[in-house]
Parts: sequence; C-alpha cells; structure tokens
Amino acid sequence: MCPERDQPDLRPRVLVVDDHPIWRQGVADGLDEAGFAVAGTAGDGAQALRVATATRPGVVLLDLNLPDMSGAEVTRRLLAADPGIRVLILSASGERQDVLDAMTAGSTGYLVKSAQFSELVAAVRSVAAGEAVFTPGLAGLVLGEYRRLAAGAGSRAGAGRPGTPGSAVGAADAGGTGGVGGAGTGVGSGADPAALARPRLTERETEVLRLVAKGMTYPEIAALLVLSPRTVQNHVQNTLIKLQLHNKAQLVRYALEQGID
Amino acid sequence: MAEQMWRVVGIFRVVTLAYAAFLVIRDHAGFAHPAGGFLALGAMAAWTAVTVIAYARPAGRSKWLIGADVAVAALLVLSTRLILAAGQVSAGAPTIPASWAASSVLACAVAGGPAGGLAGARVIVAADLAERQALPQSTFNNAVLVLIAGGVGGYVVQLGLRAEAAADRAARREAAIAERERIARGVHDSVLQVLALVSARGRELGGEAAELARLAGEQESALRTLVSGPSATAAGPGGGQLDLAGLLGPLAGAFVTVSGPAGAVLLAEAPALALAAATGEALDNVRRHAGPDAKAWVLVEDDGAAVTVSVRDNGLGFAPGRLEEAEAAGRLGVAQSIRGRLRDAGGTARLTSSPGQGTEVELRVPRT
Repeated sequence: MCPERDQPDLRPRVLVVDDHPIWRQGVADGLDEAGFAVAGTAGDGAQALRVATATRPGVVLLDLNLPDMSGAEVTRRLLAADPGIRVLILSASGERQDVLDAMTAGSTGYLVKSAQFSELVAAVRSVAAGEAVFTPGLAGLVLGEYRRLAAGAGSRAGAGRPGTPGSAVGAADAGGTGGVGGAGTGVGSGADPAALARPRLTERETEVLRLVAKGMTYPEIAALLVLSPRTVQNHVQNTLIKLQLHNKAQLVRYALEQGID
Repeated sequence: MAEQMWRVVGIFRVVTLAYAAFLVIRDHAGFAHPAGGFLALGAMAAWTAVTVIAYARPAGRSKWLIGADVAVAALLVLSTRLILAAGQVSAGAPTIPASWAASSVLACAVAGGPAGGLAGARVIVAADLAERQALPQSTFNNAVLVLIAGGVGGYVVQLGLRAEAAADRAARREAAIAERERIARGVHDSVLQVLALVSARGRELGGEAAELARLAGEQESALRTLVSGPSATAAGPGGGQLDLAGLLGPLAGAFVTVSGPAGAVLLAEAPALALAAATGEALDNVRRHAGPDAKAWVLVEDDGAAVTVSVRDNGLGFAPGRLEEAEAAGRLGVAQSIRGRLRDAGGTARLTSSPGQGTEVELRVPRT
C-alpha cells in the first residue's frame, strides 16, 4: 500500500482537522498505514489555519462541525493562504446547507463519515490529484443549487454563511413563474443581465449529476451514456467549479458594492 | 416583582405626602397650631425621604425600619390632636398625615403579606381612634379602608410573589432542559463519530469485526434519525405546506441514501404526503425484491414547475416485458398502489428496470 516509504516527499501530506480526538487519531493512524504522510492534526479552525501555515499540507481533511468556525469559513481562509491546497470535507451529521456552503467556498470533495475507510483513502488520493469527490448527496445539493440560481434567486454571497434555507425556499417558490425547463437545463436566454451571470448546467452535466445523485458510479454512468469515465469525472468536476467561480464572483461583487476594494 | 411593589409603596408615599401638604396649606388657617402643622409636614417629608431611600435596597427593608415606619405614621396621626382644635378632631376632620399614614401599612403588606398588612393597619387605626376618642362616619370608613388595604394588599403581594416564584422555577427548568439538550447534542455527536469510526474500520477488518461494524452502522443511522427528528418533521410555515425533504430525510439509513437541495422543498400537504408514502412503499419494495445487498438512492428535485422524487436501487431488476405481464396479472400490487397515490395527487409514476441494472421509480407531482 505504501511503496514510497523511503521517499516521504512523494507521499501526499494530509492535515486532519476534527474536534473529536478519537476520530482524529483513528483517521490519522489509518491514513499513515495507508501510505499518506500525516502533516498534522487540529481540533478547531484556528488551529487548522496555524498548522496549515506551518506544515503546508497538500490535502486538508476537514470536519464540518468545528467549535469555532464554519467549514466554509475554514475552507475560504485555507485557500486564501494557499490556493493550491485541497480540502476534503467530512461530516457525520452534516446540515445540507453547511455542506453546500463549504463546497461552493472551494472544497474539492465531500464524504460522509460513515464511508468505508477504503473510500476515504481513495477520496484523499483523488482530492490530492485535484479531482472532485462527489457523493450522491452532494450531487443532489449541487443540482438543487443550480435550480435555485436558475429560478432567479438573488446574490447570496457576502455573509459568512451565505444563503439560508429560507432564501432557498423563496427561490423554489419563485421558480414556479420562472419558466424553468423540465430537465433543469437552466433558464432560457432572458434579457435579464443577472441571469446571464448565473451559472447553468449543460444538458449533459444535468444528466450526469442526476445519475450520480441516484447512486451510480462513474464507470456505470460512462457505460450508460457511452462516455469515458474520465469524461464523466470532468463533467461532474465542471459543475462544481462553475458554482465555486460564481460564488467567488458574487463575493467580489458584494465587496465592491460594500465599497471594500 | 417585589422590587416593583416597593417602588409602588414609594410612589404612593410621595403622592400622599403631596396630598397631605395640600391639606395643611389649605387648612392651616383653621388650625389651633398652624406652625405645628408645618412641623408635622416637615417630619413627614423627612421620613418619606428616609424610607424611599432605605426601601430602595433589599437590605434597607428591615423589620425595625418597617416597625419604625408604622410608629412614625401612628405618632403623626396622634399629633393631629395637638395641632387641630379638639372639636375638629372629634368631628372627623382629616388627620395631618391623611392617607400618607397608609403608606406604612402598604410597606407592612409588601414585607409581611396579609398578616403584616393587617398588623400595620391595626396600629394606624388604633392611633386614629385614640386621638379622636369618638367614631365619626369618615373615621370609620377610613379605618375599614386601611384594614382592607393592609389585608388585601398583603394578599395580592403574596399571590404575585408566588406566581413570580413559579415562573422563575419554570424558567429555570426550561434553561436546565435547554442545557441538557445542548449537552445531549454534543454526546450524540461524539457517539455518532465513534459509531461511524467503528463501522468504517470494522468493515475493513472483516470477520467478526465486520459483524460489529454492521451493528455499529445500524445504531449510527438509528441515532442519526433520532437526533435529526424534530427538524425533519418541520411543518411548512403556513398555507398547509410541508417540507418534502424533511419528510423523506428519516427514510435514510445504512442502505438508503436521500439527496436533495439544501433548502426546504415546500409542497401542499396532500401531494407531499402522497410522495412520501409512495417513496416509502418503493423502498419497502426494494427491501423485499431487490436482494439482500441492494442499496437504494432517493433523489428529490424541485424545478419549480414540478417536484420529482426518484428511487433507484442497484438490485436484481427485472426484464422490461415482465413488468407489464405482472401488472396485467394483477401481481404488481405495490406498483399499482404507488401509481394510485400519485394519480390521486395529480402526478405520475414511472417505473423502469432491466435485469442486473436495478429498478428506478420516478414520482412526479406538478405544482399547481
């Protein structure tokens, strides 16, 4: 499992952030056995930022429920300090909105804590390589977010915790009059300039995301749609990147509107 | 509550002092000793200042001061006899302190309840009767009023304090429950973490550990469902709407994944319940027919015009023709039940399957 034991520089360096010592230690030991270099561990967001600055890990395994700051906040700050860092979100009983916020803030992957350890190892490897790691739950969230944006929900960037379930509800209701296509392929080309800035899914991306959300693996989807697994992975990854870019643009626009430049 | 009562006593005292001053200034020409009237007024003003300041703090409300309060009021009532002509007093003219004397009775009532109020009232009434040595109608009325004020006032204060104590206990109990819940959340979270870890690592190890892992996994999902219970069943904010995502959330478990948008998916009550029930039936069907290792995924989508729930499993599946055969033979009870539910809710149900590819049920209800 770890052929490069003698060349520690080649092993992906992982920072484990979790406020539960038992879990933290268990995961750190497991990752070490699986051939990763554990760059350090941290019990809260502030400590994670300090340790990340000191040890410069390639991947941060980030628990969503930290005592001091939200997962989205930690992700934003980690990426601001080191844009090359990859964040893999882990959550035990994660609120859907918290997961979505952390993902749009720039995390590369998401996994539930009840996943098998081999899945975790594979996810860390993928994230280290810059590949998005999706669960069916995350695919459902991303689909929902695109539909919320397509339905004409306004900017929700800016605040530390942008968007509340409340605003999403409003968006869902507004959708009834928004002329959204049946397959959710985004709104028709309206004259509304805000609509042009909203990210949209291509028909293929929607198709792929729906299949991921329904539990199909990339090879299964590739076989069904007659694509290469690589292409499926790219489609999935694009849906996330577009959301993250949109979120970033919204943050910048919000900052400009507030006169912070 | 008690603080407000003491403030009321202070206000009553100041107001009645003003009334007593008004009476002295209006009537002093007819007094036998006008200067004595003003002297008594000065004493009342000074005592008013002493008590208002002293009663403002709990430490100032000593038995001694309240006793002195009653004594001062009684003495001032008695002083009427020295200031007014004897005839005026017997005829029932107001005493020099007038209703100011009752403020000490109220102080007794607030401090000692009905018994204290009545005791104070008795002293003042006795002083009033002693100085008049007669019982004109106005004096009798005043005596009754003061006794009532002492008794009833004390009783009301007691009731108020008891109600306050009860409310205080309730608030404390509520705070204790909230704190217990906060601690429980932390404990639940820790237990979830450990169960997840045991479940994940146990499965890696295999053998007997895998059995432990399975048990831990079951408990984990049971606990998670329990913990997320109250929010999952959240009713809509009005208009008889329900959050479909909340209704379907509890269906998730070791073999079932539920996905959907981050926010609530609000739907009128009837179609929401129909979709939830149909989803439950579809999952039951998976458990019965898809094989022991089959997993199922529930996806909730809301495109504004309609709400779609897809239930897919990776089980055995069946050949396309067989579905129609079974349906024609009336053997596909569950599918018919699901279709019926959706038809009643104004929606549609679509069933697709192929051998080895699992089965997918797509439930769709348009928004009206």
